[in-house]
Amino acid sequence: MAKIEDLKEEAKKLLREGKVKYIIGYGVGGNGWTAVPVFIKKPEDVDGLIWDPTCVHNLARFLVDEKRRKAKEKQPDARPVGIIVKGCDSRAIVVLLQEKFIDRKDVYILGVSCEKAGVVDDKKLAKKLKEKKPKKIELGDNGQFIIDTDGGKVEVPVEELLAERCLECKANFPVIYDVLSGDKTKRAVDKPFGSLEKIEALSSEERWNFWRAELEKCIRCYACRSVCPMCYCDECVVDSINMAVAADTSAEEKAQKIKWIQRSSESSENFVYHLVRAIHLGGRCIDCGECERACPLDIPLRFLNKKLEKEAKDLFGYEAGFDSSLPALISCFKDDDPEDFIR
Amino acid sequence: MEKILSKKALPQWVKTLTSYKVYFPKKDKDERWNYAEIDHEDINLAFLNTTLPPKKLLFPQKELFLEFAKTADGDQETLEVKEILPDEQPVVIFGVRPCDARAAWLLDKVFAGEFTDPYYWKRRNQTTLVGLACDTPPWENCFCLSVEGSPCSEEGLDILLTDLGDKYFVKSLTEKGATLIRAGKKVFQNPKPEDQKRAQAVQAESVKKIKRQLKDARAISSTLKRMFDSPLWDEESMSCIRCGICTYLCPSCHCFDINDELESASPLKGNRVRTWDTCQFPDFTMHSSGHNPRPEKASRLRQRLCHKFQYFVETYDKFQCVGCGRCISLCPVGIDIIKVLEKVNQHGT
Repeated sequence: MAKIEDLKEEAKKLLREGKVKYIIGYGVGGNGWTAVPVFIKKPEDVDGLIWDPTCVHNLARFLVDEKRRKAKEKQPDARPVGIIVKGCDSRAIVVLLQEKFIDRKDVYILGVSCEKAGVVDDKKLAKKLKEKKPKKIELGDNGQFIIDTDGGKVEVPVEELLAERCLECKANFPVIYDVLSGDKTKRAVDKPFGSLEKIEALSSEERWNFWRAELEKCIRCYACRSVCPMCYCDECVVDSINMAVAADTSAEEKAQKIKWIQRSSESSENFVYHLVRAIHLGGRCIDCGECERACPLDIPLRFLNKKLEKEAKDLFGYEAGFDSSLPALISCFKDDDPEDFIR
Repeated sequence: MEKILSKKALPQWVKTLTSYKVYFPKKDKDERWNYAEIDHEDINLAFLNTTLPPKKLLFPQKELFLEFAKTADGDQETLEVKEILPDEQPVVIFGVRPCDARAAWLLDKVFAGEFTDPYYWKRRNQTTLVGLACDTPPWENCFCLSVEGSPCSEEGLDILLTDLGDKYFVKSLTEKGATLIRAGKKVFQNPKPEDQKRAQAVQAESVKKIKRQLKDARAISSTLKRMFDSPLWDEESMSCIRCGICTYLCPSCHCFDINDELESASPLKGNRVRTWDTCQFPDFTMHSSGHNPRPEKASRLRQRLCHKFQYFVETYDKFQCVGCGRCISLCPVGIDIIKVLEKVNQHGT
């Protein structure tokens, strides 16, 4: 059983000995029971760390902020940052390493295994509990979540509350770490791409209508992009200033800037945004599901990314996030590549 | 004007509003509430609150300002510019929560004054807001009482409905509201004195149900003034992912951008549009020179809070936050405006 206490000891030691700058982990949020990202700088604050099935966030996203901050420091602190990662989050770190966005010495990875569970989907939880308000949620010993509510304790089999991506998780323990809490027990996954079946079964016209209805809801708050650890581009195609404007950029250059996408949130523009993002994540997405969770309008973005994950697997036998020594899928070329259109 | 409307008679009232485009809260397949044009099948107001506030109908995410097109006749080139105003169409929105209506009342101040925004006011003047007092807080993070609102506040509304079980207590607040009631006059009854008492009791009870509280909001305004350079902003914004949820879903946030969007570059043809923008995006303050006065997310979180609790108070003597709680409930990383402002108060004193 993964114990946060083990990680807390390690975290305290790291901070006391000054081996890390700070530790990115989970603490209790304002509502008193769900996790929020916290940044611990002092050993005495380590006790605020928690680990429970509400730790949904992929904290690897904050390594992007850290890198940007560091780049601006005049005398950068070369020490690594400590980070608590689940299986999916660790795969994000692997991709960031593969792409040389971060260096292995920049991170001290405190891995925690989801064991035979994962994180809860708050919508499934709310549906299950109906009027009852949850106060705390824990993983029990017999494949169940134990939820403390204002109407007493409720036990629910994990499968009924797990986030969809956890139900399809291929490795529910960290694949890269410096210390690990919990066992590397794999949960059997019958259909790793099962969630795609219902959308793949649709005709192309039905699919078009499905996506048109979904993407019309988009308000372009860019939460899906902003929460994603892989969306680290300095210039994003959707931003109104999407070229590096400097003091010496001429008016002509600015005027000639190509506008790939209009600001109006209407169907055509929303399609461009979401498809550009999906394609940029092909062979890179590690299915942490954060984009879909963050979306305030419940656009099922995981379908897009999961489909491309399946393509990478079927066409190239590639799975993102498992081996940091491999080149990234979209930046490697093999001489024995059977596809003769690339020559 | 005060009336009684039985819940069964609500659809009848709506049916009389033939000249209006009528919006009701509707549950979508994801179980989220959203204001949608009615289909006359399922008219009821048993809802909590919508994810997107009614702001989307008064200040839409995209507003067309004008259309332009260049035509060439030999050497003679003409640029035609046609101003577009919102369509002439009376609108009524049912089930507006009092906080969201207060937000519209704040937007009224922003879009008037030195310059009266014709697009906003065209929509605002032709829209009737039928409010529904909250008998239970729609979100667990509701805190309207702390920002000078209440679950039954009337600012910004044309009519306020209070749920009395099998009927509504209907209070008309403006001429627009009275017109709407006159349209369906046969379906209303006159209230008895006990109805009035019951409505007051329901409203008094609902006030007690608001759990979250921001203490001394007025004091925070002056504290914020001293906190501009505080390290608190860095700490509190560490987990911010710089998305636009808190502002786009805010009923009172109103920042916008104006762009010429081309349909064709040659011959030149396109539209000038106003779209929502947000202080939370890094490019919001980007200067043409490349300089960005708010380059860090700390300065952007500070901007959001100071605008709502300091600058707006200085200009209009009102908070620019109505306590709907959307930004708290929907933040992907749990940034809680109440908690941050409480810390402001602690740091500042």
